[in-house]
Amino acid sequence: MVEPKVQGNISPVGENKPRIDAREKVTGAAVYADDIQFGNGLLHARIKRSPHPHALIKKIDVTKARALPGVKAVVTGEDFPGYIGLYLQDRYIFCRDRVRYVGDPVAGVAASSVEIAEQALDLIEVEYELLPPVLDPEFGAGAEAPLLHPDLGKYVVANFIFPQAGTNISNHFKIRKGDVDGAWEQCAAVVERKYRIPHIQHVPIETHVAIAKVEVTGEITLWGSSQSPFAQRNLIAQSMGISQSKMRVIAPFVGGGFGCKAGVSMEALAVAIATKVKGHPVKLVLTREEEFYTAFVRQGLVAYFKIGCDAQGRLLAMENKFYWDGGAYTEYGVNVTRASGYSSSGPYEVPNIKTDSCCVYTNHPVGGPMRGFGMPEMHAGLEQCIDELALQIKMDAVDFRRLNCLKTGSSLVTGSRMHPTGLPQCIEKAADAIGWGRKAPASAPNKRRGKGLALMWKAPAMPPNAGSSAWVELAEDGSLNVGVGGQDLGQGVFTVAAQMAAAALGVPYESVRVAIPVDTRYSPYEWQTVASRLTWSMGNAIVNAAKDARRQILETVSAAWEEPIENLDIVNGVVISFKSEKEVPLKNLVIYGLPKPDGQGWRGGPIVGRGNFMPTYVTGLDPETGQGERAVVHYTTGAQAVELEVDLETGRIDILRGVSAFDVGKAINPELVKAQMEGGFVQGMSSALFESLQLKGGVLQNPSFVDYRIATSTDAPKDLEAFIVEVPQDDGPWGARGIGEHSMVPTIPAIANAIYDAVGIRLDGPPFTAEKVYLAMLDAGIVK
Amino acid sequence: MTLDTHPTLPEFEYIRPATLAEASDFLARHAGEARPFLGGTDVFVRMRDGFLTPRYLVDVKRLDGMNDLRFDPQAGLTIGAAVNMNRVAAAPEVQAHYPLLAEACRTVASYQLRTRATIVGNICNASPAGDTIGACLLFDGVLHIQGVDGPRLEPLKSFFLGPGKTTLKPGDIVTAIQFPLPPQGCQGTYIKLGRNKLSDLSIVGVTALGCPDAACASGYRFRVALTSVAPVPLVAGAVETCLAENPITPDAIQEAARLAAEASTPIDDVRGSARYRKQMVGKLSARALNAVWRKLG
Repeated sequence: MVEPKVQGNISPVGENKPRIDAREKVTGAAVYADDIQFGNGLLHARIKRSPHPHALIKKIDVTKARALPGVKAVVTGEDFPGYIGLYLQDRYIFCRDRVRYVGDPVAGVAASSVEIAEQALDLIEVEYELLPPVLDPEFGAGAEAPLLHPDLGKYVVANFIFPQAGTNISNHFKIRKGDVDGAWEQCAAVVERKYRIPHIQHVPIETHVAIAKVEVTGEITLWGSSQSPFAQRNLIAQSMGISQSKMRVIAPFVGGGFGCKAGVSMEALAVAIATKVKGHPVKLVLTREEEFYTAFVRQGLVAYFKIGCDAQGRLLAMENKFYWDGGAYTEYGVNVTRASGYSSSGPYEVPNIKTDSCCVYTNHPVGGPMRGFGMPEMHAGLEQCIDELALQIKMDAVDFRRLNCLKTGSSLVTGSRMHPTGLPQCIEKAADAIGWGRKAPASAPNKRRGKGLALMWKAPAMPPNAGSSAWVELAEDGSLNVGVGGQDLGQGVFTVAAQMAAAALGVPYESVRVAIPVDTRYSPYEWQTVASRLTWSMGNAIVNAAKDARRQILETVSAAWEEPIENLDIVNGVVISFKSEKEVPLKNLVIYGLPKPDGQGWRGGPIVGRGNFMPTYVTGLDPETGQGERAVVHYTTGAQAVELEVDLETGRIDILRGVSAFDVGKAINPELVKAQMEGGFVQGMSSALFESLQLKGGVLQNPSFVDYRIATSTDAPKDLEAFIVEVPQDDGPWGARGIGEHSMVPTIPAIANAIYDAVGIRLDGPPFTAEKVYLAMLDAGIVK
Repeated sequence: MTLDTHPTLPEFEYIRPATLAEASDFLARHAGEARPFLGGTDVFVRMRDGFLTPRYLVDVKRLDGMNDLRFDPQAGLTIGAAVNMNRVAAAPEVQAHYPLLAEACRTVASYQLRTRATIVGNICNASPAGDTIGACLLFDGVLHIQGVDGPRLEPLKSFFLGPGKTTLKPGDIVTAIQFPLPPQGCQGTYIKLGRNKLSDLSIVGVTALGCPDAACASGYRFRVALTSVAPVPLVAGAVETCLAENPITPDAIQEAARLAAEASTPIDDVRGSARYRKQMVGKLSARALNAVWRKLG
């Protein structure tokens, strides 16, 4: 555990410091990618996309498009033979031989205006030979399904992903623990269920933006709305066959990401086009429609659960099958499959468990990371089964969870032991706040009221060696500049970075600034802003950098004062000695050092601290059993509870109250932690009640906000409560763990359980629209 | 098969005539390629999505009388075609005499859009889902139309021919909608069922208006208008007959609601199924009629 020196009552850690970027964002001064001005040389890119879910490209004729005045370049897959992808390189930048989803890029145009670029698209002639599409993951996993990636066996792949060559299964993750087959007969109750979770979109308020410029020397600069500037540097350089040192990514403020701006997606298109118009910046902005059709989606899921317990309610066995609808390319989605596999017990101790989690290629939009990374989808079914099992053995659903939930030292699904966890406290907080066990009367005769609760766990899903680094430097006035490579997506990580740096060095929060925008040329390396890992991983790097700077400063002062370093501390920007009671402010000393007596020269010099962090303790898992020493760095756990009303006449659901309780280890900024809990609840609620990409024959039916509904502030409950539980994490700064994604993981099943409590129906998957709820009540004879 | 991921507003010519006659003449001369517009909240969206491709857009919102909102104790309410919905909803005369109309306006889209959107525009688009149309039908709205042959009046009830189709002819410009005085002691309500609470298009819309009426056996006259459940906004005549002839009881209201559902002919679309819509016409008609009955009591 990193133990930064405690700074007494002036430490900003644990304080509700105001957001460091609030003024810029509120006044409109904050610069986003689309705001950057590039002058007259700017060209505009547009992408020709496949209208078919699955087809062979027979011929692309771009001659007419090239001839259009104002068109500067037209590119196709022929120009870019390299594969690209994060965990599995299964994607070309532009399609070469076939298209695999509606929206797959087949050609790109750079022109002097958006209008000309669009006209040029119409002049590009593409001849297709239509192929039968795969539209269901369960079918896609079978032997009869057409093969979407015949070269799957040849793709470059991370060593913890297991593609099945000759099938559409791009990753098959297995858990084999205990004796599942033998356990069923000891079970007093068994629940078997199937759920279908639809694709949803991230819908950030800012659509994807990328501007790429290639110099005549071949050096590339990319400005983008990005969660992952360093991953983009690496992957795009690899795909283009250039050195990473020739690729620079600059990432200004981001207008929301939720995962869809992680890894590489449309940025590679802009870079590829720019290589053909050297010296010109080329700008590609996705329209909202394009965002709906082509940005990463939260992949669909068909999930089977079989769960059993004994007469006392103790969970004995689980058998889970997950068919992930990974879409046309599963370069990122394969790891969602893995994460849901090694978390497939849910936050419970289950002695016998068998899981098969398969990522399946389909001709649907490309699945990728989204807030929760498989956990909301997986928990949606699992946490309903837990309620049903409790009901079967006539046990209270919360008591059932109290009995079975993970506690410190519990045996995990992957074979190791649970680290210290506050999950039991989270259950108590959520149950208590929602008034569990007390039924309130409905607000009207046509309404029924219900309560539901669900638990969650989630680990940062990433390669075992995802690293962070940071630097700190001080200016003449003693102010601290913190260099980071992580991105603020609105979650407030720059604020938290400043708080941690201030606390670890011993300077006031107000004197810290974060060196942004993130620029891979000047900023320290950060793997990606994903997995809710920054406060924890980047935080560790920042603490190490601050400690490094602190050591340099104290060594200088110690030598000057001829006092042992142990006597010294930095408090509120001043170096003090507990013994001699001397003090010297950091300003000036951190640049010019301190003079030796009698004109003998100087000591010290400009202070630059550096630090890094990489988990070195995550081990591999056995490919056949999914068992291993330490599958992940740690798990954040939590609980949510809701109270809602169902309108018997319309099926409409009103969420009256939402309660969240999560064990974050340590809240560096409690208000920001609570904001994540509230925002996650509302996004989870939105996915539970409204959101779904309606795909028909592979074609999206609702590519706009008119028919893709998301929750507004009026749909959110007036009463949202958030409770912070703090059981420190051994490898986190001040004991902190992530919270960004976790807050939307248990929302769907909490709502589903409350609907059941209210009216006694269960649906096979979200969204629980008024129509679905009403027709289910009608078919069950609950209403007529 | 094409995929348009870059919908853009097509090129068009913007025409702003000085007088109604000039506007009407221009529209008549360019039949099929010119279109009048008011707030533009629907026209521009449909043009961007490629459903409308007029060569000329004729801006009629600043012409004489288009921005007037007048109430006369004898003649009733006249709302100029260009009066926006926020203004209608906030007008004291509307709130005092036609509160149902204000209520309906407030359910349209968002506050920001309602500073542009107009009732007449809503009507001329002839969307089966128009939120204000039910109230306009039940208040017996009459359209003032400027045509090439001069002004004329046309009752709203015979105006709609199909989705997006009306009786308007080339050169016609609707300049206002006029409502007679509302029936003495009337009460109304509009129930809009959207997928979420704010700014959605309706899956089903039910407008109900009721008033004491000695000419009816029951002593009351109730009318119900239905939107989003037929090719055109619908006034369910059977409801009126049922509740005029039978004493107003919970059973009679249920029966009237059943007749409303029977009158509807909804379809399946991305917003909802025909089966659900038909169910909802019944449920929401009952709810609306009961609400109005309570208000009358």
